[in-house]
Formats: sequence, structure tokens, C-alpha cells
Amino acid sequence: MSENSSDKPAIREVRLGATRAEGGTREVSYVIGGEQGLPFCGNDPGRRLVALEICDDPAIWPPVVRNYVGDLANNPEDWAEAAERRYGADLVRLNFTSAKKRGFDAFAEIASTTERVLAATTRPLIIEGSNDPQVDSEVFRRCGEAGEGERLLLGTAEADRYRSVAAAALAYGHLVIAQSPIDVNLAKQLNILLRETGVPEDRIVIDPYTGALGYGFEYSYSVMERIRLAALAGDGDLAMPMISAPTDTLTIREVREAVPEEQDAMAVAWEFYTAYSAFVAGASIVSVRHPLTVERLKKVLEA
Amino acid sequence: MAMKALDIYKHLPKTNCKKCGYPTCLAFAMKLAVGKADIEACPDIDPGAKALLGGVTRPPVRAVTIGAGERSVTVGEEFVMFRHEKTFYHPPGIMVEVSDTWPDDEVRSVVAEVREAVVERVGQDLVLNGVAVRNESGDADRFAETVYLAGGGTGLPLVLISDDLPGFEAALAVAGQYRPLIHAATADNWEPLAALAKQYGSPLVVRAGTLADLAALAGNCAGAGVADLLLDPAQGSLQGYIATATAIRRSAIERTEPALGYPIYLDAGTFKDTDAAVAAGILKYAGVIVTPRLSRASREAALTLRQNTYTDPQHPIQVAPGVYPVNDPGREAPVLLTVNFSLTYFTILGYLEASRMPCHLLIVDTEGLSVLTSVAGGKLTETIVADALKKFGVADLVDHRLLIIPGYAAPLTGKIEDATGWRVMVGPRDAADLPEYLEKEWKT
Ligand code: B12
Ligand code: SF4
Repeated sequence: MSENSSDKPAIREVRLGATRAEGGTREVSYVIGGEQGLPFCGNDPGRRLVALEICDDPAIWPPVVRNYVGDLANNPEDWAEAAERRYGADLVRLNFTSAKKRGFDAFAEIASTTERVLAATTRPLIIEGSNDPQVDSEVFRRCGEAGEGERLLLGTAEADRYRSVAAAALAYGHLVIAQSPIDVNLAKQLNILLRETGVPEDRIVIDPYTGALGYGFEYSYSVMERIRLAALAGDGDLAMPMISAPTDTLTIREVREAVPEEQDAMAVAWEFYTAYSAFVAGASIVSVRHPLTVERLKKVLEA
Repeated sequence: MAMKALDIYKHLPKTNCKKCGYPTCLAFAMKLAVGKADIEACPDIDPGAKALLGGVTRPPVRAVTIGAGERSVTVGEEFVMFRHEKTFYHPPGIMVEVSDTWPDDEVRSVVAEVREAVVERVGQDLVLNGVAVRNESGDADRFAETVYLAGGGTGLPLVLISDDLPGFEAALAVAGQYRPLIHAATADNWEPLAALAKQYGSPLVVRAGTLADLAALAGNCAGAGVADLLLDPAQGSLQGYIATATAIRRSAIERTEPALGYPIYLDAGTFKDTDAAVAAGILKYAGVIVTPRLSRASREAALTLRQNTYTDPQHPIQVAPGVYPVNDPGREAPVLLTVNFSLTYFTILGYLEASRMPCHLLIVDTEGLSVLTSVAGGKLTETIVADALKKFGVADLVDHRLLIIPGYAAPLTGKIEDATGWRVMVGPRDAADLPEYLEKEWKT
């Protein structure tokens, strides 16, 4: 029997962002997925993206990043532009940390920040909400509307709070990050829930939750491998590309307590080892917070 | 493919004579089936059956020891492709390179670093393993001298890297009795190198760019009497390394090519980003990783990644439940509740010791799960807390009945109070805030 690679189960292709021709304003859009084998092992089109995380309220952002980016931290537009032009990120992940504050209601700001960040960048955009379902339904409605047609990647949908994200994705044509706590079965269940809500399968990216290196990363690494193996064995409910965010890494003790001269090096080393390992485990997008980590990851992926 | 215990049993003498060290032939067969016993241990098996079983019952990846004494490393003897299938057993040895063109002091300083650098994590001391000496001077005597400077193999395991036969002869005259790893036998030089490796009983790396050539070389060297081999897949890109190493491990595990059933060798310094190469080696099947000197930051991250990767997924590293005195506590000292996940224990112990605050640390059995995970998974309950208080006689140690619980366990407050009769104080979520909290809130 001849082996026809087109018959083999593959990871579903997902398009992020939309160019003018595709109904948005981005200069590029990306397709991720399409792998028919293990990461880096053949039948792998090598579509790997590095996202830099930024936020609209740096109060709870890791000090090592705030120190490094300086004034940029107070201006999401400039930060986003630098992420793309200066640090070379494939895309930006905008965290609405402001919405995590108690009693948050500045929803008009959400829309305008989204518009300004979109205007400052030419590439697709990932947006993170607040973790609070009530706040999120309004946050995602506003940013979803502001970015209508741009095929934003909206996060994070979890089993007990996926409706607000899903609703905004459906209403304005965006994509969803489906996050589950380091468990293959929970990842699968959430994808089924999202499908039943009407989110098309080619608009879902799995986030299996990434523990920090030394603080649970091995579980995340293995769950990514298991999700990928299940998908390649034909489980369509797990055959979505994955995103990993080893962002807790910058608040671990080893980084926080590093001597000042070594803080950046320590942050980048820990973030880099985790991020690169996530790619080896099968992630299509890895988001990091230190700009220097972005540069190094990009170089390694090019090689 | 591997054979089942019953199929193996059929080929054994079935006399239950116990000479193999197992009570019955079947018990021996069961060990053989999982690669945990050596067929040679049965003296009575007939030679035909032995040849048959030898091939299928040895570990799919041969165990190879490099170096001698306390710091020697054993690699290989792995049984699965992915750590979640069971576990990985033998973490790769990380060997830091020096060159025989360097000044002596520079060589010494690398050697001292490898000998002394320790990263302490969750009660384990993580270390670099050895030194790789590169013969770049073209001078056999200088190579031997540098090998001697690197300890000659008496302390740290060595890798001897050269493409010059007299170089190897000189270096092995210095270090040969301490099982240094020889790099590398190629299609051109394998005969004399295999002879040297055999003479000294040293492990040998074979190097070739394709699986077929690797297998052929390994077969030749094994045939020449060198049992302990490593495979260097000689790839120019990390992608190539990962793909080739995966193919090697697969054919070893599936026993499709016995000549590939050896640990893999990776020279991380030949890739654009050393850290990425070290990570790839750790995650994907390297038995020995040679690397240029790593910064402190890289070393910490690399050794932690290696520890994480080689932790048994079914058994998180745990500490024994009990009540532990910290900073010499008296009867007025606070009692702090925590879980038996090592990472949690050592994290909070670090902060407590630094603060010098005396306290009793009560560790309950959550099957090695962290606070947040055990609360979410129902493994930290009021019953467990009540039983532990009783079992470890905590009431006899202190004059008060106050229990400080982790901030993340706050939802259990009422239930713990009801089940134990102790009053609960909810501590902070982050252990870093614990000293300040105790300073402020602890008054009996
Ligand atoms: C690794 C991990 C796992 C591993 C387990 C690892 C382990 N050995 O515990 C696995 C994959 C098995 C797992 C499973 C689950 N997990 Co989990 N897991 C994690 C992860 C990534 C890291 C946990 C960790 O190691 N933390 C580090 C240790 C040191 O933290 P800690 O024990 O809490 O200790 C800190 C504090 O509590 C405090 N502290 C400790 N002791 C004391 C004592 C006192 C007195 C004080 C004051 C303070 C204090 O100090 C420490 C340092 O600050 C977390 C996410 C995260 N960022 O925490 C999710 C997380 C805890 N998991 C979660 C969930 C939901 C689960 C599951 C229920 C999912 C499922 N499969 O059903 C299961 C439950 C397990 C079960 N079935 O029994 C959720 C919990 C959500 C919630 N808020 O309730 C989290 C937060 C992930 C998420 N965001 O969704 N998990
Ligand atoms: S030594 Fe051989 S014959 Fe004797 S019990 Fe063991 S396996 Fe059976």
C-alpha cells in the first residue's frame, strides 16, 4: 500500500489576522497548523510564531520587563509598535490588565486601546481579557467590535467561562483561545463545548496551560505532547494548533531574586528554555514577555 | 518488538532453581520482559534460547557508564519515546568543553566550575557532569597535558575529542583507566579507534550523518569488541537533530535495528544557539551533551529543565508528611499547614529560614500535589488535616490551638475549624509574604 500523506490526520489550519483583501487591515495574516507529524520531525511545515505580551496597565506586570522597556510600558501603542519593529515579534498579545482591577468599568478605553494598537501594528493581534466572566463579556464585546473583521485571537475561554469569548468571536468574526488546566480530556471537552456553541473548529487554538519551568512545566510539556499525539492518531477534537504562554516564568523566585545585573539574563534564560521547549512539544504560538527572548527565539526558528 | 513474560518463560529451563536470583523462572521472565534483568544470570538456559532472548530482553537503549567513581554518569537504559508513557530514567550527562589551545588557567577555571557549581532545587543538588577536552592544537602531548589538567578522569568524567590517533593514544595513557568517552569513530578511523577503546575498556562514540551509516559503524565497533557505544548523528541543524534522534530512539524502542540501541551524543556548541541545542538534547533523547561554558542563568535553567524532564510523571518529588521544626520553635510558636509536594515545602522553607521565625511546619499528605492543585482536585480536605494533627501529636507540641493555612486553602477554613476544633488563620497566598504576615499577625 502506498502512503499518501494527504490521507494522514493533520492539525487543522487556522488563519490569524486578515489583510485588506481578506476583510481586515493587517499587512500580513498567518496560517498555523497543517502538521502531519511530530514537531520538527518531517511533515511539519514549520509554522511557528513568537508573540510578545504587552498590557494596558503595567502595575501587575513583572518588574524585570518594566525596567527593561521603561516608558513603553505606559503606552500600549508605542509598546506594540516596538514589539513588532524593534524586537521582531511576529505578533502582539495585548493583555487588558486594567480590567482585572476591582470595579473596572472603563469599557470605552478598551475599544480605543484596541483601535490604537491595531493602528500601530501591521500584524495579527491576540487579546486577553480579565478572567472575570461579567467584565469579560463587555471587554470582548468592545474589543471584538473595534477589531471587527481582523480575525483577532481572543482569550481566554475556560470551561466555566467560555461564553463571553465565544459570543464576541462569533459576532465579529474572531478566533478563540481555549484554555484547560493541563489535562487532555478537559482540553477535548472544552473544544466540544465551543463547537456546540457554534465556534467553527478552524477558529480555535488550544492553550493547555503552561506552568513555569521548575514550577510544573513538565506537566505542561507532556500534556502538549499527548494532545499532539492524540490529534495525529485521528482525534479531531484535539486537532487544533496550540498556544503556550510560559509567562509565569518571570515571577518565579530565581528571576525575582536575581541580583540586579543578572536579572535580564536570568529572565531571558528561564523564559527562553521554557518557550523553546514548548515549541518542541508542539506549540504553534509561544508568547513571552521579555523582548530579548523574542529576538533569540526568532533566530533559533530561522536557523 | 519486545516479548511478553509468558513467551519468554517458554524458553527458560522451568526448574525454578533460583540460581538467577529470582524465586522462579516466571519471576525472572517477568523481569526480563521489562528489561530489568540480564539473560546471562540464568546459567542453565540453552544457547539457542539465549541468543533469541538476549536480543529481545536487553534494554532497548544500552546503559553506558562514563567516568569512574562518585561523579561517573550512566546514561541510556531508556524504555519509552515520551515521558508520559512511563518515565525517563537516566538524565543526560552535560559535559563542558575546554580546548588544548587554551591557557592552563582557563582550563582550570572551567574544570573548577564543573566540579563545584551546584543548583539546589527541591532538595536535590543539580550538577554539571564532566569535561570535554578538545584536541585543537594538533599536538598529542599538549592534548595529554590538558587531559591531565582536567583531572585526568580521576574526579570528573571526561570526553576526549580528537581526530588524531596519536592524540588519543597520548590522552588515554593519562586517563584511560577512568573510562573516558572517546569521540569519535568514523568510517575512516573506526578500526584503530575501536581497538584503543577495547584496550582501555572505554566507551566510544560513533559518528555518521545517516541512520544506515551509524548502524553500520556501530555494528562494526560492536563486532570489534566495544560494547559501550554512543551515536553521534552529526546533524547541522536542530531540526535535523530532533528528527534524527527521534528516529534513532524509535528504532531502538521498537527493536527494528539493534545497532541503534545506544545512547545519543550531541555537541551543542555546533549549533547557532547553544541554549536551544542543550534544551533539544535534554528533551529529545541525548545521553551526553557537550557544551561550551554556560552562563549561570543558562546553567540554572538547563539543569532545572533536565530535572523536570526526568521526574517520574506518576510520582512528583515528595517530602514525608509530619511536623517539622523550623528555627527551633517553642510551645508558643505558630503551626503552619502545608502540603507534601517537595516544591511547595522547599519554597516555603526557604522563606521561613531566611526570616528566622520559629514555627512548626505541618505537612499533610496530598499525594505530592501543590496547594492550589490539591484544593482544586479535592486532595486537601478537613479530614486529612484533622487526621494529621492527631497522628503527629501537634496538640502536644504547642500551648495554643491556632492553625495558619495557605491563602489558597481559604475555602476550607470553616470545614477545618469544625473538623479539628482548632481556630484557623488564613495566611497569604504567596509564601514570599509569609514572614511579614507572621511578623504582623502572630501574637499568642
Ligand atoms: C503543575 C500543576 C498541576 C499538576 C500537579 C503538580 C503538582 N505536583 O501539584 C497536574 C497536571 C497533575 C495538575 C492537575 C490539576 N490541576 Co493544576 N496546576 C499546576 C500548576 C501549573 C502549578 C502548580 C505548582 O506547582 N505550583 C507551585 C507550588 C509551590 O505552589 P503551592 O503549592 O500553591 O505553594 C505556594 C502557595 O500556596 C504558598 N504556600 C504553600 N504552603 C503554604 C503554607 C502557608 C501557611 C502559607 C501562608 C502559604 C503557603 O507558597 C507557595 C509559593 O508561593 C498550577 C498553576 C499555578 N500557576 O499555580 C495549576 C492549577 C493549580 N491547577 C488547576 C486545576 C484546576 C487542576 C485540576 C483540578 C485539573 C483537572 N485535571 O481536573 C487537577 C487537579 C489534580 C487532581 N486531579 O487531583 C488550577 C486551579 C484553579 C483554581 N484556582 O482552583 C490551576 C491554578 C491552573 C489554572 N489556572 O487553571 N495541576
Ligand atoms: S536460573 Fe534459570 S532455571 Fe533457575 S530459576 Fe532462574 S531462570 Fe529458572
